[in-house]
Parts: sequence; structure tokens; C-alpha cells
Amino acid sequence: MKKIKKLIYRNALFLKIFLVMILSIGTVALLITFSNIRMSSQLFIDTFSMTNTKSIRHISAQLTSFSDSLLLASKEVETNPVIKQYLHNNPSSAVEKSQAFYHIQQEIEQIHAILEPRETNIVLLANYLDTFTTNYVNWDVAGEELLQHELTNRAQANKHDITYQFESSEITNHIPMFIASKALRYQQNNNVFGYLFLSIRENDLRSLYEGYTSEGNDILLMDATGTIFSSSKGELLGQHATSLLHHVQADQDELSGYSDVNVLGQNYLCFAEYIPSLDIYLVNLIDHELITSNLINTREILFISATITLIALIFSFLTLRKMTVSISNIVHNISDMARYQFTRALPVKGGYESKKIAIAFNYMLNELQDYVNILLNTQEKQRKAELTALQHQINPHFIYNTLTSIKFMIKQKQNDKALTTMDSFISMLQASLNTVDQTTTVAEEVETLRHYVQINHARYGEQIQVNFLVSPDCLSLQIPKLIIQPFIENAFFHAFVDKKQGFIKILIAQKQDMLVCEVIDNGDGMEQTRDFAHLKNKKQLFSGIGIKNVHERIQLLYGNKYGVTVTSEPQQGTNVTIKLPILA
Amino acid sequence: MIKNRNKWISTALITCFTVFILAACSSNDNESGSDEGGSTNSDSIVVWAWDPNFNIAAINLAEEHYEEEGFTLEIQENAQDDIVQRLNTGLSSGTMNGMPNIVLIEDQRAQSFLQSYPDAFYPLGDYFNTEDFAEYKIPPTSLDGEQYGLPFDTGVTGLFYRSDYLEEAGYTHEDLVDITWEKYIDIAKDVKEETGHPIFSFDPSDFGIIRMMIQSAGTWFTTEDGEINLENNEALKESLEILHQLVDQDLVSLHNDWSGFLASFNSGEAATVPTGNWIVPSIEAEESQAGLWKMAPIPRLSTEGSVNATNNGGSSFYVLNIDGKEAAAEFLGATFGSDIDFYNDLVQEVGALGTFIPAAESEGYQFENEFFGGQQLISELSEWMEDVPAVNYGLNTYGLSDILVEQFQQMLNGKSVEDVLSDAQTQAENQFR
Repeated sequence: MKKIKKLIYRNALFLKIFLVMILSIGTVALLITFSNIRMSSQLFIDTFSMTNTKSIRHISAQLTSFSDSLLLASKEVETNPVIKQYLHNNPSSAVEKSQAFYHIQQEIEQIHAILEPRETNIVLLANYLDTFTTNYVNWDVAGEELLQHELTNRAQANKHDITYQFESSEITNHIPMFIASKALRYQQNNNVFGYLFLSIRENDLRSLYEGYTSEGNDILLMDATGTIFSSSKGELLGQHATSLLHHVQADQDELSGYSDVNVLGQNYLCFAEYIPSLDIYLVNLIDHELITSNLINTREILFISATITLIALIFSFLTLRKMTVSISNIVHNISDMARYQFTRALPVKGGYESKKIAIAFNYMLNELQDYVNILLNTQEKQRKAELTALQHQINPHFIYNTLTSIKFMIKQKQNDKALTTMDSFISMLQASLNTVDQTTTVAEEVETLRHYVQINHARYGEQIQVNFLVSPDCLSLQIPKLIIQPFIENAFFHAFVDKKQGFIKILIAQKQDMLVCEVIDNGDGMEQTRDFAHLKNKKQLFSGIGIKNVHERIQLLYGNKYGVTVTSEPQQGTNVTIKLPILA
Repeated sequence: MIKNRNKWISTALITCFTVFILAACSSNDNESGSDEGGSTNSDSIVVWAWDPNFNIAAINLAEEHYEEEGFTLEIQENAQDDIVQRLNTGLSSGTMNGMPNIVLIEDQRAQSFLQSYPDAFYPLGDYFNTEDFAEYKIPPTSLDGEQYGLPFDTGVTGLFYRSDYLEEAGYTHEDLVDITWEKYIDIAKDVKEETGHPIFSFDPSDFGIIRMMIQSAGTWFTTEDGEINLENNEALKESLEILHQLVDQDLVSLHNDWSGFLASFNSGEAATVPTGNWIVPSIEAEESQAGLWKMAPIPRLSTEGSVNATNNGGSSFYVLNIDGKEAAAEFLGATFGSDIDFYNDLVQEVGALGTFIPAAESEGYQFENEFFGGQQLISELSEWMEDVPAVNYGLNTYGLSDILVEQFQQMLNGKSVEDVLSDAQTQAENQFR
């Protein structure tokens, strides 16, 4: 949990930008895809319905000519004298019957030629129950049944006009048919002399318009009661679509184009045309979704846009990551740097921007580094200068005291002693005139120290014994000048205040790759914490260098590894250890 | 930097390429989809035939016997006149649009189609052996030595009668065997008198009965050479007179279409049905009359050379020269052209008598028909088949029939048979010159 949080925190920049990018690319892709699909389907439906409207007009014209042919044929039959003659009287003999049958058949065959489409069938029912038909296959019906049937009653009830009706009952052997029926009457007394039925099977009627239909684009014919009597969609046949009828009737007044309608539980785009001569509605139903899904491959559009979005996201992910990760790294490095390593340069990598930043930052870092170095150098130089200055300052008290001691020796006629002290004094002065940095061999330094001890013995007596123990292998090694002197001086003047006599030992040897010089006394000793610097007696000091400075000086010259350590116990003595590098 | 730029260009190219491929793939999909849509209708073979009890039943049986993968048959029932008219309009327009793959054509009409539209039909000579079929079927179904039709039923006739009515009128089976039409008229009178039933039902627009009569005497409306032969045709003259007597003396009932014809005997009205054997299934369709029917040979004319055997109807299959012709021809060749088992089932299940000679040996031909009181219909019919006189039907059988039909109406009005024939001859010569 913490890890995830840290990860999120570290990649916050990337995540923010990427999130915004996903949202914007996704939104754009989504909007474009859907507006694309919507626009193309709208465009398609518009053009589709335009051409469909033309088809509908064409079919409507065909249906009108069909109804015209029905009207014409019925008129022909009603006015045909031969039919009138033979239909009226029930022929009694076979001869009469043969003639009647022959002539009626001849006449209706001729009249049949008027009818279009050809599949339209003429069925003529004589009052004496015989039927005449042009194609028995199309409608095989017996006269008795037909005369009893509602079709005939209806035709009789309707005095002048043709009655149009849809039938798919027993009378048509359950074959769906559209039947135009008419009672044939004499002109003078209006008595019925026969019945004419012009039948067309639904599938023949359907062939008038079937060529204009396709899946989802259906055409149906509906009579004035809302019964669908012909349809390119089989399951609609014979259904009562009252809602569609109302819709179509309302629509007809406005003469608008396509409109939405719900037919038998399904939504369609609907266009209707009323055919007055047949009193039927020609209705075109378009299943909007089915048509567009068939012709516009929504899945493909979605797939393409999803692929493009995905590719865009992958690219932006990669580029973004490359850019933001390097920036995040820089930020991370910088924040670390402040805590730990100020000198380490930033790695120059990642994008153009982050590289520039890293380069500029590194440049700045270098400059800073140089500047700091210069500063440090200057400070060091300054300190060295100070030390040199101090070194060169030989304490005037020391000179005065020493010279006074020598004067007394000469006065007391101790000439030899005065001479020796004088020599030592000269050697000391000589040694101190050289610069601080300069080193000398251990042997020479020890010689210088002996001179110093000789001067002190000459001045103060020989109660304090001084012994030098120098390992022979150290004699030729280099050592900074006057490094050990301040400690011997300190021992002379401060270790023997209570005790009046004792000894001072100077040990020089190599230990663990170091040159170790020890100044050991058995004098008063001191509390460990006491800084012996404050005990300085300016009068006794040889030069400006105090023991305090020695430690700093060594560290400055050779590093932290080296330096001065002091251990002391009251009444026991003091032990000063000076660690120096081995300089050949 | 250069390396980076190259990387960018390549990724951009890959993107473009991907999009292009996607687009290309999808357009391919659409193409293949539309291809599939077009080929759905072409694999079913369409057949036109007219009698559900007979030839349509035979085709259905043939389909059951045919074991070809992916073969589907679509049988469209049409009235025979309608088939003839549609074929004429379709073939003369030359488009072959909406034409069937297989069509059944009556032998008497076949030549007019073959000669008028020789390229419209697909030769079937390679699909069956013509020697396997009754010889008289070959001339009407071939043209210029090329076999176009695959012979189907024989059309050999019988006099199918109601034994109960005839018995009531005092006639036994023997009284009906090998009679003349004169005798038939006498019987008709007795039947009418005794039972009130008409002897048969007659369609004034169809002269099948006349064609049966004249072929029994070995003559036709045309001579062997194709000359119109109405005037001075003794057999035709006698036939018209016989028909005139039957109608004039009110011995027949009338119908004007196929359903009326079926009703005439299924209703129990007509006492006999003198026609081709193809009517047997339709007679059997009225199961309540089982055992009441018998079959006798068709009556003959008194004209010299007339026999008690003739032909009516009888049809053959033709394959139209359109897509699917090979599949259609293979189907016909494998079933109607060679399958003895199929013919065996055909006589028993459908009652259709083919003209395939090897099938005559099969047991089905000895089948005793219970509906006809145990009579061996098929066996007897195939005997008579051998006696049918061969005639040249010529080109205008139905045209000449129509002229005679019209003239016969005048004959009923009192015109003499001599005038009728000479007028018909003149009319026919003008019409078919």
C-alpha cells in the first residue's frame, strides 16, 4: 500500500498528464465515432427514403393500373351479351349446356387478356351454380359454396361498385387471396344474373412490388379496415394493424414524408400512399435499425476508431513517459543532492528538455564547485600566511631571557657554557627562519630540539632530564619543522610546577605506516578537559606557534587521519602523541 | 536526434499502414458478403407440372429416389394451358427469365415447341438410352435425330367405369370389352334410362375424346407428311358424329375445367371415364368409391383398322437450356431414365405407368389394384400400350382441335358434319398455311 502510494507520488506528473490525455482522446474519438455513425445513417436513410418514395409511386401506379384492369374486365363481363345470354338461363340439355359452356369460356378467356397481372383469375358464378374460371389452379372453388359465402352476399349488397376483399378461409382453400367481387345486373331491372369474382393470389399480387423490397424494407397492402392483405413480410399477413391505419390516415392529410410508427410492437419508418380506386393503402415500412446495421458497419467504425485511439494512447504513453520520467528523475536527484552529495553531476538523459535542464544544472553545479574551491583555497592560504607569520615571530621575551642568561654566564666566567648556549641559540634562530611548510629530516629536527633543551638547561638548571629515543629507521624521514618543540616547551614550563624535578621523554618511531612522535613527562598532569593553551606564558614561548595550532596545522597539511592527541592524569604526567605521515 | 526522427517517421508509417489494412480488410468483407447473397437461388431445380395426383406425385417420388448431395427440387404447379402459354411467351421473348429447369410437355404439343425454339432445349441423349423406352414415344420427343424429351407416362387409355351403375343398367364386364363407340352410345342410353347418370362428363372446349377416337384408327388431324387432314377424314367424321349423338341425346354431363372434370366422377355422377391411364390416381382419390370402379378397353371406331387401344395425354420431361441444366438432366437420367426400382414404386404408389421397358418385368406391374376390384390395371394397360397405333402428331394438334371445337358448336346447332369438316379444312388451311 505504501509502495503504491509512493509509486503514484513519484509518477504524479506522468499520471496527471496521461489521465488528461486519455480523457481527451477518448472523448474526441467517441464523439467523432458517434457523430459519424449518426450522420452516415441519417444520410443513408434520407437517400434511401427518397428512392423508396419513387418506388412506392411506381408501385402505386401499377396497382392503379391493376385496379383499372379489374374495372375494365368487370365492365366487359357485365356488358358482354354472350355472357349475359348464357348466364341467365339454366341450360337444360347437354347441347345447350355445351354451347353455353363453350361460349362463356371463350368470352372470359378473351376478357382475361385485359387483366394485368396475368395471374389474375376470373371466376364467374352463374345463378344456376355453375362456375367458370380462366385458371382453375389459381382458385379451385365450387359454385354452391361460393353462392353461400359472405363474398357473394357482400357483392349483392353493393349495388354498383366492385367490392374488394381479402380472403384466406376455407373458400379459397386457405390460400390468401385478394378478391374483387361484383354482382352482375341487368341494366333495366337491376336483377342479378350472375357474380363475377376477380381473384389474385397474395403471392402473385406480392410479385408486383416484391422486387422493391429487401430485408428491413417491407411493403404491405392494407385495406380500409386495417387488415394487411398482402405483405412482403409473411408474418404480417392477415393481421389487423389498427394503429398503423390511424397513423396512415392521419398522415395522408398532411402528405408528409417518412414518419415513425409502431406496428405490432416494432418501430418502423413509415411511408404510405392511398390508392383510392382500390380503397387500399400501400404502406412502406422501413426497419431503420436493421437497414442501417446491414449497410453501415457500425462495428467496423467502432473497431477502427478504437484501434486509432489505442495507437494514439500507446504513443502518447511512451512519449509522455520518456519525458516525464526523466524530469521526475531530475527532481528526485536534485532533492537527494541537497541532502547527500552536492558534487555529483546529474545524468544527462531523457528528452530534449530534461537534457537541457540537466546540462544547465550540471554547469551551474560545476561553477558553484569551482567557486567554493577558490574560496577554500583562499581561506587556506590565508591561514597559512597567518601561521607563517606567527612562526617567523620569535618571541622577543625568549631572545631577551636567553641573551640575559648568556650575559650572566659570561659575567660568572662560565665562558664554555655561554659559548655552547650561544651556539644552540644561533641554531634555533636559524631553524625558525625557514617557512612553515618546509620539512626537515628527523635527525636535524632532533638536533634542533637538543639545542632548545640545552638553552633551557643553561637557563633553569638541570632538574628536568630530557631523553631522546629515536628509532634509527626514522632518522632520514621528513618532518615539518618545529612541530614537536611547542610540546617540549609546554612540558618544561607547565608540567613541573609542583614537582621540581622529573623527566621528559621524546620517542620517535614508525607505527602502522605512520610516524608517531610522543612527548611524555612525569610531571603534574592535568584534568583531561583542561585546555592547556590558556596556560601559555608568553614570556617563555619560543615562537608564535602555540600547541593549539599544531593539531590544526597537521590536519590542514595531511588530512583528518593525522593530528595530535593528549592523554593526561593529575600527578602522573602527560602524554602527547603526534601522528604524522611517513614522508621519505 | 536523427535516429529519433527516423523512429517517428517509421511509427507514423506503421500507423498509416495499419489503418489502411483495416480499411482494406473491411471492404473485402463487404464484397464477399454480397457474393454469397447472389447465389442462394441458383441451386434449386425448378419443375413445372400440372397434376398433383399424378405427374407431380411422380416427380416427388423421383426426388426421394435421388441421392445427390445438395440437390433440391422446387415443384411449381400450374394448369397445363398456363404452362403452355408461359412457355410460349417466355421462349419467344428469348430472355428465359423465370423459366423452369424442367418442364413437362404433352407429347402432342412437343413438336411445336421443339421446332419453334430448337435452341431453348437441352439435348438429353447422353443421359439415358432411348432403346429402353416404348418406340412410339421417341418421334414426338426428338427432333432431327437429337433426343430432347425424356419419356414419362404412356397416356394409354382405358374405359374406367362404375361397375355398380353398369350392373344396374344390365351390363357385365364382358359386355364392355372390345366394343365399338356405337355400342357405347347404346349402353349410355340404357345407363341414363336405368340410373339417370350421364355416361361421362364432357368439356366442350377440350377435344381429347375426339383425339383418342381418331388415333385408335391410326389417323390424325394431319397426314404423315404434315398435311392438314380434316375433310374426307372418315375416322374424324365418325368421331364427330358419335360425340354429336352423345351430346345431342343428352347422354353426357358437362364441365368446363379440371376441377369440374374431377368432380364429375368423384361426386359419383358420371358412369364412365374414357381417358388416359393418368386419371387412375384421381379416381382413387375418392376413397369412398373403392371397389366400385373397373376398367375396360377403350371402345373402337367402326372405321377399318380401328383398334381398342389409343392414347390420350402422355407427356415427357424437357430440360431448358439455362443454368442448372446438367444437374436437371442428371436427375432425370438417374430416375426416370434408368431406375427400375423407382418405376416399381411409381406404379404401386402413384399408379403411373411409365414407358420404360425394363420396368415391365418388375413385380409392381403385376400389382392387383383393390380399388378396381383386384384388377391388374398396369398389366392390362401395358398390353394395350403395345397396340396403340403410332401417328405423327404434327405441329398444330391444339390449333386444329380449337377449330374443330368451334365447328362442333355449329354442328350442335344443326350444321351437317360434311359442312363442318370442309369449313374446318378451309379455316385450318388459311390459319396454318
